[in-house]
Amino acid sequence: MKKRKFVSLLLVGTLVAGMATVTGCGSSDGKSSSKNGKTELELFSTKAENKEVVQQLVDKFNESHEDVTIKITAPADAGTVLKTRMAKNDMPDIVMMGGDNNYTEVESAGMLVDLSDQDYVSDIQDSYMQMVYDVNKDKEEKAYGIPYATNASGVIYNVDKFEELGLEVPKTWDEFIAVLDKIKAAGEQPLLMTYKDAWTSLCPWNSIAPDLQPDNFTDDRKAGKTTFAKTHEEIAEKYLTLLDYAQDDFMGLTYDDGNKKFANGEAVMIINGNWAINQYKNSNPDVNVNMFALPASDDESKNYVTSGVDVLLGVCEGSENEEMAKEFVSFMMEPENAQTYIDDQFAFSAIKGVEQNNETVAGVKEDIANGKVANFPDHYYPSGFDLSALTSELCLNYSNGMDNQKNITQFLKQCDEKYDIANVD
Amino acid sequence: MKNKTAHKKPAVNKIYYIYVGILAVLFFVFHTIPFLRGVLYSFTDWKGYGNWNFVGLRNYLHMFSDADTGNAYLFTFKFAIIATILVNVISLVLACALNAKIKFKNTIKAFYFLPYMLGSLIVGFIFNYIFANLIPDLGKSLGISVLSSNILGTNHAIWGIIAVAVWTGCAFNTLIYISGLQSIDTDVYEAAALDGATGIRRFTKITFPLLAPSFTINMVLSAKGYLMVYDQIMAMTEGGPGTSTTSIAVLIYKKGFGGGQFAYQSANAVTLFIVVVLISIFQLRILEKREEKLG
Amino acid sequence: MRRQIVKAKEHYNWPVTILLIVGIVLVILLPLYMALMIAIKDPSDMNNILALPTKLRLQNFVDAWKMTNFPRKFFNTAFITVVNLVFTLITNSFAAYAITRNRKKSKFFSIMYYYFISAMFIPFQVIMLPLVVQANTFHLDNIYGITFLYIIFGLPMNTFLYTGAIKAIPEALDEAAMIDGANPIQIFTKVIFPILKPTTATVAILSFMWTWNDFTMPLVLLSDESQQTLQLAQYVFKKQFSVDYNLAFASYLLVLIPVLVVYLFCQKWIMNGVVAGAVK
Repeated sequence: MKKRKFVSLLLVGTLVAGMATVTGCGSSDGKSSSKNGKTELELFSTKAENKEVVQQLVDKFNESHEDVTIKITAPADAGTVLKTRMAKNDMPDIVMMGGDNNYTEVESAGMLVDLSDQDYVSDIQDSYMQMVYDVNKDKEEKAYGIPYATNASGVIYNVDKFEELGLEVPKTWDEFIAVLDKIKAAGEQPLLMTYKDAWTSLCPWNSIAPDLQPDNFTDDRKAGKTTFAKTHEEIAEKYLTLLDYAQDDFMGLTYDDGNKKFANGEAVMIINGNWAINQYKNSNPDVNVNMFALPASDDESKNYVTSGVDVLLGVCEGSENEEMAKEFVSFMMEPENAQTYIDDQFAFSAIKGVEQNNETVAGVKEDIANGKVANFPDHYYPSGFDLSALTSELCLNYSNGMDNQKNITQFLKQCDEKYDIANVD
Repeated sequence: MKNKTAHKKPAVNKIYYIYVGILAVLFFVFHTIPFLRGVLYSFTDWKGYGNWNFVGLRNYLHMFSDADTGNAYLFTFKFAIIATILVNVISLVLACALNAKIKFKNTIKAFYFLPYMLGSLIVGFIFNYIFANLIPDLGKSLGISVLSSNILGTNHAIWGIIAVAVWTGCAFNTLIYISGLQSIDTDVYEAAALDGATGIRRFTKITFPLLAPSFTINMVLSAKGYLMVYDQIMAMTEGGPGTSTTSIAVLIYKKGFGGGQFAYQSANAVTLFIVVVLISIFQLRILEKREEKLG
Repeated sequence: MRRQIVKAKEHYNWPVTILLIVGIVLVILLPLYMALMIAIKDPSDMNNILALPTKLRLQNFVDAWKMTNFPRKFFNTAFITVVNLVFTLITNSFAAYAITRNRKKSKFFSIMYYYFISAMFIPFQVIMLPLVVQANTFHLDNIYGITFLYIIFGLPMNTFLYTGAIKAIPEALDEAAMIDGANPIQIFTKVIFPILKPTTATVAILSFMWTWNDFTMPLVLLSDESQQTLQLAQYVFKKQFSVDYNLAFASYLLVLIPVLVVYLFCQKWIMNGVVAGAVK
């Protein structure tokens, strides 16, 4: 026994000593990746949902460029994979990703080429270009990512049910609550929530917060000038109010199952985004849905549509085929191709003049066209700050019958604590 | 008195040195160096890419003030303790039952071992469906409100994960116990019967002590495995609701890669490593001692 | 004749047998039965999950087969599993033998023993990212590289398993063979390895299970889709098509079937192997 202890101590000792020697290996290994195919370009997409339509567009591009093939990589857990590839210094040629904090990480690591000098930049709607600037490091006004498709998050409603119950699209919070009460009184399920998948618990938050939070909240919070506790109480209250209208077991329903139920008319409304519409249509091709911005404020002018850059295109620094990659981005920006993309995805285009005419999103189209949009607040939070875990906990406490006031106080306090922890850099 | 003197230490054949040496070098390069780099990064602010600086013990100190880490440890210990105990108790009962004089013995045994073969990812997917659809449907049709909601969306989500851990984990443990039971000489039982020891008494006084080696293996392997619990959680709750089922391994994965906290989570991983080692050594020593006493 | 049957009947513990069978049906088979039912149904036929399908739909399997590019993924997984198995058995057993037999004679082997064993406690999460960086330097981010890594990473566990078994073999056997003029490799292959059969079976099964069912390592190492393994493909597939449970379950079953077939034919061998190795 004693001897064993000695040996293990010795072993620990050598491990610690060994550490000193490998310290030198820590630095990065320099560029080692080179795609050796003649002109094979790799397109890395973080969005699994659009793989088919992107493939369609890529095929079209490949047809007109005989010397080039573009290969799409769209792995599961793409964010993780992309980061491991950053570590490997094995970046693709083109990236297609959301304009969120994942992008911020890639951009701030200097992995992307500045595309500001490209012709198509002037075709991009300013509000969306600004959103990309906002998530650049130090808000640098350079187009490292070109906004391509944008999304809309808000309330998706069953049009037939609305007609059946004689309901009108609400413009203010009070009207919204009145609608919810009417539905409840009619014996229908007002809202369906799918919080088994924690990210969906962020959707109402992302729609309520922009309407009610103080103007410079994201910057001030980052600088430590304000807190969630001081500014977000009403947001949290309204967030919890909506849970009163959710179905039982809203914590146990998954996004996929919920989408099916909603498509089959088991609820009148669901708070999510345009990206989910494909799923409703797949489950029930006859479902008749439309969207409206969640009216969190009683001041109609403040009720923005939550819309962010769902997909942006970027060219990677160090790509051997940078010119070809740029040409591909330019190809994608052609109105015809942008149209193909948004038609397939029920999405909106960041390109001026490319319009989404599908009725399923008609309710938010005008606001988007007029730029009455607010970006997803969580796109600005530091990437280590996992708000969905906190909102999901807030809901769990609610379902366990915790006092709302206590629940909210605790939640906001945690928001501030976790934010500070994640906001290290 | 053994012929120690006549048994002069023979020289070790060179081939052993060369062979083990090569493997050790390979292992060092592809396993130990990454490990040491992980340890190294735990003292830096590396994000997984780009530049980094040494920050000393900042990451480790940070862990003490971070509620997420504390909760993850609490959850992991709770899970590991409950799962280890449940798996071992159920396996022991199953093993005794399977060791009884039963018909179709081999076939029955084969069925109980089946879960061991199935990957925990897919088993997780299957149970995820059971908890989300099958059980709530059943609960609703029977009018039992407890059953009619998805357990994975409640405070009791941990039990859903434990259920899967038990489902897959019992197979191996049961098999080990059976083999332990089979190695017990029937003479021992006959002698015990003469002394009037039967039933529960026979089990506690004779069977269980003789199972000590199997018990040791099962306890150590189960505890170690469950402290690293990862697959089942990723397949079922991904750490939710809230952070209530976030195990240390899940936290490291999610925050280390998704959350840009690679260096900080490396510190967490190193801590997990130390904890696992300490627990395993502790467990081995206690169990070994007991085994010596009993054996 | 008749008396014998009666006697045998009395001998069996029927209550326990029945309880165990009920347990199999409710606990072990029910989830698998459910998976099968979902896999052979049409999405519109899901009102009663456990009921037999009103119309058998095997198209799910065909679709899943095509959509996951099953043959390719199967080949990748089988390649990794089989090659890893062969090399693991050859290399790791002899390493364990060399270490066990020389521990008393040389400090080097004793240190090696503790070196490998202590590595068993290193969580994969600690080494994952640095490993990925390194794997790229050595061009190991393909099925050949990952197989190599599996062989190396299996060393700690397998050394642990084999040493236990080798310790139990009297050294007199080696000595006798040595006196007959056999060299270390001959001693090992002719005398020791055959005795280690049960442990080898265990190591083989554990290696098989590990490589077949692993998905974290393929996830971070194999970014090229044509290199993906079956498990990784399921993970991707679930994220993309989870709304269609029928298709997803058909795809899961496609992955489970090879394992079930292996189990059906080698069940006794597998169980004996697992036990024989672990209890050593």
